[in-house]
Amino acid sequence: MDITPYPKLFLANDLNEALRALRELADSAIPLAGATWVMRAPLRCETADQTLIDLSRIEALRTINIDQQRAVIGALATHEQIANALNGYNDLAALAQAAGHSANPAIRRMATIGGNICTAEFAAADLVPALLALDARLEFEGLDGSRTQTMAAFLDGRATRAHTDLVTRLIIPRTQRMSTHARLTLRKAGDYPVANLSVSIALDASGKISAATVAAGAVEAVAKRWTGFEEAIIGHAPSPEKMQMIAKTCLEEFDGRDAADAPGWYRLRVLPGLAADAFSTLQETTLGRAM
Amino acid sequence: MTITLTVNREERIFSGDPRTPLVDVLRDHLRMTGTKAVCREGFCGACMVHVDGAPMASCLLPVGSLDGAAVNTIEGVATREHLNAVQQAFEDHDVVQCGMCFPGMVMTMSRFFQTNTSPDRDEIKAAMTGNICRCTGYERIIDALMSIRTNEATP
Repeated sequence: MDITPYPKLFLANDLNEALRALRELADSAIPLAGATWVMRAPLRCETADQTLIDLSRIEALRTINIDQQRAVIGALATHEQIANALNGYNDLAALAQAAGHSANPAIRRMATIGGNICTAEFAAADLVPALLALDARLEFEGLDGSRTQTMAAFLDGRATRAHTDLVTRLIIPRTQRMSTHARLTLRKAGDYPVANLSVSIALDASGKISAATVAAGAVEAVAKRWTGFEEAIIGHAPSPEKMQMIAKTCLEEFDGRDAADAPGWYRLRVLPGLAADAFSTLQETTLGRAM
Repeated sequence: MTITLTVNREERIFSGDPRTPLVDVLRDHLRMTGTKAVCREGFCGACMVHVDGAPMASCLLPVGSLDGAAVNTIEGVATREHLNAVQQAFEDHDVVQCGMCFPGMVMTMSRFFQTNTSPDRDEIKAAMTGNICRCTGYERIIDALMSIRTNEATP
């Protein structure tokens, strides 16, 4: 039997090459997108000698297309690219802000949306709650065909997912909503958040919230929708003070994550303040114009 | 695996593990020690180099991904006789302390001033977010960088 002599870093020229390498190398390989997580493995005391299947030369995975129906973002689009491309779209603002404020400029230049959502061990990803709040779907390509999945379903199975296919695109439906992303870091900038929150809302004719999708990240090991808060704010005016008050009554659905940067109770304690920040931003920007 | 890079306008060959971070290739194989390996997680900025013109944290770049790329390091941004504008501003304002972070700052801000010739103070601070100085001379560093903008605005 022939054994393909893959080097320890295999530069895939197209998607098929990458998928074939993934199938042949199976567990001895991992896909490499922006490299910002994989290259830090030694700091996490991970010593696996895996082959890296480098996707960076697959230009088709870098494109971003936005029309009136949807935004389609290639899995290798960087945070910097996304922040620039989505700038000015009220409904997509949560993702634009999440991408534009994550980590630091150099990381944003390298880190990709595909890497951000596929790294199960990274609890503080900024793009994940934004994609949940914007109701994104993921598109996968494998040697046996393609499929799509909701962001929530993907996150449910992410930790045990086999690399038999690759995330190729994120598809976000365009809406008449407005959205935003708030994050709290221990340093003023250049840090991962101890908690983050993405909010997408619609208002009725009287200026009250008629629909809401809210997701929190970094609070638990995996970002998730804040459904109790979503339901509780329907019918209310979106004032930051009111939203903060309601948020304080909806914390029981979280089990805060203890980690080196912050204890779990602290992450819960700051969530209502983040809700106020998010609605304050909406009021200053898109909401102010809409009302 | 043999990787070919153009480093400071010279072709260089690396034969070794393609997963090696670029910073280690520069320092250990090419003996270009101006690029510093400090945090190794992309947060301190001391290892910043230009890859195909863009500032990148070289600790996070596997060299095998860079086959054919043009890399510029702190050794290649200017000559001893003619420092570039950022280097000159740092020297003129006497802001260099231990020196560990400054090569990375020069690489980040040299590129930044090519894309924004008259930034305000907040824009400079935002651009410097990924470059950490543990000697804590930030405000004077920003003063020095602001002087570049002022100088360019002066006919």
